[in-house]
Amino acid sequence: MTSPELLTREERELTLKCMEMALAKGAQKVRVTASKSVMDLVGTLNGEIDKVTHCLDRSLSVCLFVDGRFGSFATNRFDEEGLDAFLDRGISVTRMLAPDPFRDLPDPERTAKDALTGTELNLYDDYYERMTPELRRRLALDASLFGKRNGEEWTLISEEAEYTDSVFETFLADSQGLRCRHIETSFEYGVEVTLEDKKGNKYSKYWWDGTPMLKDLDINACCPKAIDLAVEMLHPKRHRSVHTHMVIDTEVASKVVSPILRALNAYSLQQNNSFLLDSLDKQVFPEGLTILDCSRNAGESGSRYFDSEGVATRPTAIIEKGTVRQYFVNTYMAGKMGIAPTVEDAIRPKVMPFPRHGLGRDEILSLCGEGILVTGFNGGNSNAATGNFSYGIEGFAFKDGRITHSIRDMVVTGSFLDLWSHLVACGEDARLCQARLVPTLAFSDVDFSA
Amino acid sequence: MINDKSYYLDLFSVTENDLQSLMQESLRHGGDFADLYFEDTTCSDLLLMDGEVSSGGFNIDYGVGIRVLKGEKTGYAYSESTDRTSMRAAARAAALIADGNASAGRVGAAVEEASRPRYKGRPNPAADRYPMLQDWRTCETARLVPFLDRLHQGISERDKRVVKVIAMLSSQVTDLLMYNSLGELKYETRPLGSISVSVVFQQDGKIENKSVSRSFRAGVEMLTDALADELVAKAVDRIDDRFGARRPKGGKMPVVMGAGASGILLHEAMGHAFEADFNRKGQSIFSDKMGRKICDSSITVVDDGTIRGNRGALNFDDEGVPGQRTVLVEDGVLTSYMHDRISARYYDVKTTGNGRRESFRYNPIPRMRATYMEGGQAAPEEIIASVKKGIYVDQFSNGQVKIGEGDFTFYVQSGYLIESGRLTAPVKDINIIGNGPEALADIQLVGNDPLIDDGTWTCGKGQSAPVSCGIPTVLIKKLTVGGE
Repeated sequence: MTSPELLTREERELTLKCMEMALAKGAQKVRVTASKSVMDLVGTLNGEIDKVTHCLDRSLSVCLFVDGRFGSFATNRFDEEGLDAFLDRGISVTRMLAPDPFRDLPDPERTAKDALTGTELNLYDDYYERMTPELRRRLALDASLFGKRNGEEWTLISEEAEYTDSVFETFLADSQGLRCRHIETSFEYGVEVTLEDKKGNKYSKYWWDGTPMLKDLDINACCPKAIDLAVEMLHPKRHRSVHTHMVIDTEVASKVVSPILRALNAYSLQQNNSFLLDSLDKQVFPEGLTILDCSRNAGESGSRYFDSEGVATRPTAIIEKGTVRQYFVNTYMAGKMGIAPTVEDAIRPKVMPFPRHGLGRDEILSLCGEGILVTGFNGGNSNAATGNFSYGIEGFAFKDGRITHSIRDMVVTGSFLDLWSHLVACGEDARLCQARLVPTLAFSDVDFSA
Repeated sequence: MINDKSYYLDLFSVTENDLQSLMQESLRHGGDFADLYFEDTTCSDLLLMDGEVSSGGFNIDYGVGIRVLKGEKTGYAYSESTDRTSMRAAARAAALIADGNASAGRVGAAVEEASRPRYKGRPNPAADRYPMLQDWRTCETARLVPFLDRLHQGISERDKRVVKVIAMLSSQVTDLLMYNSLGELKYETRPLGSISVSVVFQQDGKIENKSVSRSFRAGVEMLTDALADELVAKAVDRIDDRFGARRPKGGKMPVVMGAGASGILLHEAMGHAFEADFNRKGQSIFSDKMGRKICDSSITVVDDGTIRGNRGALNFDDEGVPGQRTVLVEDGVLTSYMHDRISARYYDVKTTGNGRRESFRYNPIPRMRATYMEGGQAAPEEIIASVKKGIYVDQFSNGQVKIGEGDFTFYVQSGYLIESGRLTAPVKDINIIGNGPEALADIQLVGNDPLIDDGTWTCGKGQSAPVSCGIPTVLIKKLTVGGE
C-alpha cells in the first residue's frame, strides 16, 4: 500500500525550503511545521439537512532562533515569494526581543526517529478516500430520530446534529535533521437534543462518538443515547446540602484529572502557579491513583510519536501508586528550571482501575451505596495555585446503589489534594473516543451545597 | 478604519467582475442568497516573562469564505487562496446546499427583509467606530517592548509580595471585503489591541494570583501612560483581601453584583438565550416570550455595536449589516432577539447586525457585541445597605449556562460578605448558581452606576468572538452560593 499523502510533495519541499531560507537570512537554528487538514461537515436540524461545510486548511509555523533570541511565526500563505517577506519580517521581529539563553532545539538524541510515513500509529482509514457528499448526507440523515420518538411525558422539540469527517497531516522538520510525519483520519457524529415536558420545562443533552476508522463509528447509537440522557433528567428535585460520596461519570471525569496534569506542567511550576510544587517523586496522592501516559497506543485517536518540538513520546507513568513520577518539561523550561526535559504535555493519559479491574458506573454506585452521581459540570473553576475548586454540577442522587432522582442547582466544593485523598474507586469504562482516558471515579466525604 | 475600495480589491487580487462571477457560481444550484467574506488578518503578540520580553511572533491568516443560503439552510466552504480556480471550487462546494437533497425552509426564496422594527435602536452605519491612528502591523517591536517593561516594573515595585509577572500584548488587524448576492459591497480594516497581565503573589508560604486585562478596537495609540497606570493599579489592588479571603458558608442568599465585570453574568445567563438561533430552534428558555414581561420594569438590557473603540464595536457585522444598538429588554419587556440574516428572515424582522464569525473559516451566526444593563435609580451604597445578610461579588470567571434550562453557574474570584448592610469579610473561590430567567426576574434594585468592563472578554459558541459586557450594581433577591 502506498502511504497516504495530504501534504503534497511540493508542500513538504516548500517547508524544507522555508527552513533553508530562514537559515540563509541569519537564523542559526530553525524548526518548521507544516499542517494541512480537510474537513467535511453535514449538519442536520430536526431530521433535515441544515448545513454543509467543506474546509481545507494549511498552515506553516516557523520557530526562529536568531542571535540567542527566539520568535515563532505562522502563515497560511504557501507561496515562495510571500514566504520570503514573511521570514524577513520574522527575523527582524526576533532580533528586537531580549536574548534568552534557554531557547534551543531539543537534543537530537531525544527526538523521534520512527515517525517516517505518518501512518505508523494506524490512525489512517483509507475508506476516507471513498467518502462522497451523498454518503455523508446519508449517514447524517439516517442517524436522526426526530419525529420518530416521543414519550408520554415529553416531546422532542429540537435535534441538532453534525456528522464530520476529516483528515489531518503534520510534517515537522528542524535544522538539526529532524523529520517527522503524522497523518490521521477522524469520523465523528454529535447530537444535542432538547426535550420539553408537559409544564414547558426544557432539558438538553448531548452525546457523540468519534473514531479514526469509519467502521468503528457507532453513529446510530448517538440520538437514542442523547434522548435517554435527557429523559433521565426529567423531574429534577432540589437536593439539600450534603456531605457524601461523589461518583463522577466517565464522560465528565476528566474535570478532576486535567487540573493535576496542568499543575505538573513546567510552565505552571516555573511560575509558582501550581498546587503541586516540589512534588516530583513524592507521594502526594493515595496509592489507588495511577495515571499512565499511553502515548503510543496504535489505533487510538490522540496517540502521537512526537510532540510539537519533535521530542519522541514514550509510554510512561505520570503518577504511580500516588507518587508523582513526571513533570511535563519542554526544552525551554528544562533550561530555565535546571531540570531534565521530558515531553511538553501528557499525550494520552489513562487513569488505571482501582481497587480492581472491570468496574463500571453501576458497580461503583453499588460500592458507594449513597451519594451524588455527577453527569455534568456547569461552570465553576479551580485555583491553579491552591488547588481549591468549586463547580456547578448536574446529575442524580443515588441510594442503595440505585439512582433516585435528578438534581439541579448544586455546587461541589473542595480542594483537589483533599478530594483525591478520599478516592474510593476508579472504573475501567472510559470510551476510546475520549482524549483523556478517565473512567468513572468515586470519592467519599465530598461537600455539596444546594 | 476604512481605506479605499481599490486597496481591498488589490489585496485580495479580485475585481468586481470576479465577485459577480463567483456569485453566479454560488447560486447555480438554486440558492437564494450568497455572500463572500474575504479576510487578511495579522495577529501579533509579545510576551513578558521573568522580567524580559523574550518571546514574540505573528500569525498571518488569509482567505475567503463563501456561503450559500437556501431558506434557513447553509452551505459553506472556504479557500485559503484567492486565485480564481480555488474560489470557484469553494463556491461549487457551498452551492451544494441547494441541490435536490436539501429542502428549503419555510421562508422560501424571499430575500428582501421585512422592515417591521420591534425595537428602539439607533442604527449608525456611517460612523467609523475604530479609526486606527497607528497600525499595529507597521509598528516596530522595539516601540512596544517598553510598555510591557513598564508594567513589570510598576507592578513589582508596588508590592513586595510579587514573585512573578506575565504580561502579554496582543494585536490583531483584519482587512475585510464582503460582497453578497444583493450587490452589497462592504470593506474595512478592524483593529483589536489587548493587554493581559497575570501576577503571582507569595506571602508566608501562601500563593495567590491575580489577573487583569484591557482590550480596545484601536491601534498602537491605545498604549498610553494612563492605561499602564490603570493596569498596574488593578493588578495589585486588594491583594491583602485575596490573602485574607475565605470561603463563606453556602446557601441561598441575596447577592449584590458589583458594577462592570459582573456583566458577564448578564452575557452568559441571559444574553445567549436572547440569540435568535437558539430561539429559532426552540432551544432557548425565551423561545415563546417575545413581547412579554420577563423582569422588573426598571430593567433595560442592550446589545450594542456602536460604542467607539469598544471590543465589541462593529461598523457593520460579518454579513455586511450596519452595526447597531439593539434593545433586547425594555422596561422589563422582551423586545428583540439578536438576529443574523437567517433568523431575521425566519422571524420576518430586520436584522440587528449580530451576524458574526470568528474568521473566513466560519459561517456567521447570531453573536453578542457589548451587552449591558442600563443604569437605574438606586445608589450602590443604598443597595448594599438594604441587605442584612448576603454576599457582594465583583469578579467572576468561567461562567456557564445551559441555554434550554437557563441554569447557570459562575465562579466568584473575589467579593465580600454583606452583614447588616456593610461589606465585611472578603470571600473567594466559590460559585453562585441559579437560573437566568429567574435571576433576571429576581433583580430588585438597579444601581445608578452603569459600567462597561473593557477586559479581554471572548465569547465561545463554537467559534470565538471578542465582546464586552457591563452592568450597574444590582441586587438579586436570592441565589445559591456554594461555600463550605
